[in-house]
Formats: sequence, C-alpha cells, structure tokens
Amino acid sequence: MFIVDCDCHNYWCSATVLEPYMEGLFKDMFIRGERTGPRGAFPHGHRPWFHPEGFARHDVNPVEEGDNYLIMKEKHLDKYNIDVAILTGDEPIEASTLANPYYANALCKAYNDYMIDYWLPKDDRFWGSIVVAPQDPHLAAAEIRRAGGHPRVVQVLVSHGASRPYGDPFYHPIYEACAEMGLPFAMHLGGQGGINSTPIGAGPSTFFWETHAILPQTAMTHMASLIANGVFEKWPSLKVVVIECGVAWVPSVLWRLDANYKALRKETPWLKRLPSEYFKDHFRFSTQPLEQPENIQHLWAALEAMDGENTLMFASDYPHWDYDDVNKLHVPPAWREKIFGLNALDVYTRLPRAAAQAAE
Amino acid sequence: MTTKHFACKADEVPQDMAKIVTVSNMPIGVFRLEDGFHALLNICPHKGAALCEGPVCGTTKQTGATEFVYDRAGEIVRCAWHGWEFDIRSGEFLVDPAVKTRRFDISVEGGDLYVHI
Repeated sequence: MFIVDCDCHNYWCSATVLEPYMEGLFKDMFIRGERTGPRGAFPHGHRPWFHPEGFARHDVNPVEEGDNYLIMKEKHLDKYNIDVAILTGDEPIEASTLANPYYANALCKAYNDYMIDYWLPKDDRFWGSIVVAPQDPHLAAAEIRRAGGHPRVVQVLVSHGASRPYGDPFYHPIYEACAEMGLPFAMHLGGQGGINSTPIGAGPSTFFWETHAILPQTAMTHMASLIANGVFEKWPSLKVVVIECGVAWVPSVLWRLDANYKALRKETPWLKRLPSEYFKDHFRFSTQPLEQPENIQHLWAALEAMDGENTLMFASDYPHWDYDDVNKLHVPPAWREKIFGLNALDVYTRLPRAAAQAAE
Repeated sequence: MTTKHFACKADEVPQDMAKIVTVSNMPIGVFRLEDGFHALLNICPHKGAALCEGPVCGTTKQTGATEFVYDRAGEIVRCAWHGWEFDIRSGEFLVDPAVKTRRFDISVEGGDLYVHI
C-alpha cells in the first residue's frame, strides 16, 4: 500500500541550526536575544500549558543533530514502509506567537532555507512544508512566493493558534499566494500563547491533557471562518489541510453551519453552496489523533458523516507523545488505500503519481 | 507448564530503566526494583508501542482532595509513546487494571536472569 505520512516532524536538537540562515539584526536577536526556553530553544511567546513529560516519544533520544534523521529513518520510515513523509517541522510554527512580525518572518525564512537545505536532500521520501508567520500576511505571502517554488515543497504551514479566525479578509493575501503557487494551506495544532488568542473559548484551561483534548475548538473556528468568509469562492483551487485537531467533531459543526446558513444566507451573499459542500471540496483532515471511543462504530459513523473516505489523510505525528502507528489506524478497511495515500495525492499535487502506482 | 529462558546478566539491568531483551521471539523489558527483578512484555496493549522503553518513574496517588501525593517512585513504567502508566510488578494499566501487558516470572541464578514463559 502507498503510504503518505502527512505529519512527520523533523526535529532539531537545538534551534541554533538556524544561525547560518540568518543575518543582520535578526541574527543578533536570535543569538543574543531573550529566549523563552533554555539556550537552543526557538524564540516564541510560550503557551500557558506545559506538557508534564515533554512532547517527544521516550524511545526517540537524539544526541547529535544527525541522530534526528537516523532515528526517524529506523523507527518510523523504514519500519512502516512510509513512501512519502511530509515534513512539518516542529517549533517553527510557534513563530506565529511573536508580536514582532519582522522577526517572526525572519525566523520562518531561516527555517525554510534550513529545511530545504538540510532535510529534503536526506531522503527521497521527504517533501517539505514551508512555515509562514501569519501575523503579517503580506510578509507571509512574499515568503510563499519566495520559497514555495521549490519542487519538493508541497504545502504552506501555520499554527492553528492565531490572533483571529483564518477566514478573516486580513489573511487573504496568504491565500492569494497559495493559490498562485499551487500550494495547500495547512494549519497544525500549536501556536498558543504570545499574541495569539487562547484556543479555549471560555478562558485558559488548567492542565495539558485537558487542553490538548479540547484544542479542536480553535479548528472549528477556523473551518467556519474560512467557509463563511468566502475564501473558496475567491480561490476555487485552494485546499486547506487541518492537522492534529481531531475529526469526530467535524460533522456536528457542519450540521450546524448548514442549518444556520439556510436560515441566514443573506449575511454572506458571496456563498454559492452549502457550507458542507465547501468542506468536502476544500478541507482535508489528518487522522492523527483519531478519537478513541469504546465502540469503534461510534467513530466510524462520525467519519462517514464527514465523507472521511475522501476527506481524511493518514498522519503519524512522529515522534510526538500521541504518535499513531500505521498498523493501528482504526478506519473502515475499504477506505484504507485512499486515507493512507491516494487522498494526499489529490492535495499535494507535486507528489509524483508514478510512485503510488509503483507501490500498488 | 513454563520453560526457563536465559534473559541477560543481572548486572546488565540498570536501576532506572528497563533492559530490553528478546526471549523466545518476544520483546521483553527486564526491570530492577528494590524487591528484585521483574519482566514485562515490551508491547503496549493500547497501540502496540515499545512500552518498556519509556521512563521508569512514580506517579500521583489517587486522592479525594486537591493534592499531589507523589507515590510509588521507580515502580511505574510509562509507555514510550503515549505515556500510559503500568505497574511494573503486575503489568496492569493504572487507569484500568483490566488492561494489562503480559508479565513473566523471573529467577536469578548466580549472576544470570531467567524469564519463565
């Protein structure tokens, strides 16, 4: 089976790997400026929740920078016969938490150059995400046009923690650039803290596991906003990938959106179709972490209601603490080929289809 | 009817982490606790991850009050991937003891450890 892992984190031991890719003022800030964590941490306005055990799997323990790839290769790519790994970085999406958009953009640029330079050549299975700082959409759009032309870059990535919902016209320059470059816009769980709104509607929650479980709230907001603001009417080719935000909530939000739109269509006269129809054509969700009900049928009913056969894409979230094993994905067997790889080919159009056919 | 299989030398088992061995084609984690050696199957019943390669640690005691009583230091292993906590002696998952990984009897002869399967 052809397997695309849509969320494979390329780690570093220290963010100092970005130093060669920075210059001028922002290089000084990066080397000597204040940091949120220990030396070697990536600068960001830190989230209020701390994982009590750290984020990485405890059987992944890199010492040297080179170990990050070697361990991934051994414990993930080779072990599960992954054909394509979409690299999703790790700390860099936290650039969205910084108030200074110029520094945030400089960090994103440095990361993108490092990723293209250091990671992509390491393995034929690697395809890259470029990270942008959405707090200045014009700088982000310029970065998409600068780095997004690389043939092995397949998507534009931001955190789902944001200062305002992603459908807001404020962000539209980003979609203009994505559409122009033929790249999907992806949001990955993260980016809480700093200038970003709390992802929790009622105010900050208390514990890490509690917070992680309810982070889909933010993705709900973004999904509704992107649809309601007519982003997909303006850019009919645009695909949005939602990574690590859960999926079982999607049908209930779509049901509500459709019902309310039917009553109050006049608020958004630019929409031509039901919200759920935009969803099916434009949104793709990563599987990880799939909800784990006692009765698997309850999950499958939800997946069916969101057309999961066509809207879900496999992701492992390697090497994070809620990593999903390829062999433990609980989706209906008849959907597996699509979810594991074929759906991703429709979204990441730069991936060669020949590779999929060869793997059949 | 169990059979005795050589696992490893006793002095190969560190204090604060498991020694991972393969016995009879099974991945097994051997632990050294104050009361002796213990062995668990290195497969998590949750999603099949390398359970015994996680940290050996303690946990908070269940309590009726808002208090954090750190308890059982060194007697718990957290699965390397998803952090489910298991009792090293019984192989039981702390949240639901009906979920358990297989445990094995272990014996010491001289400096050698044997797992009984």
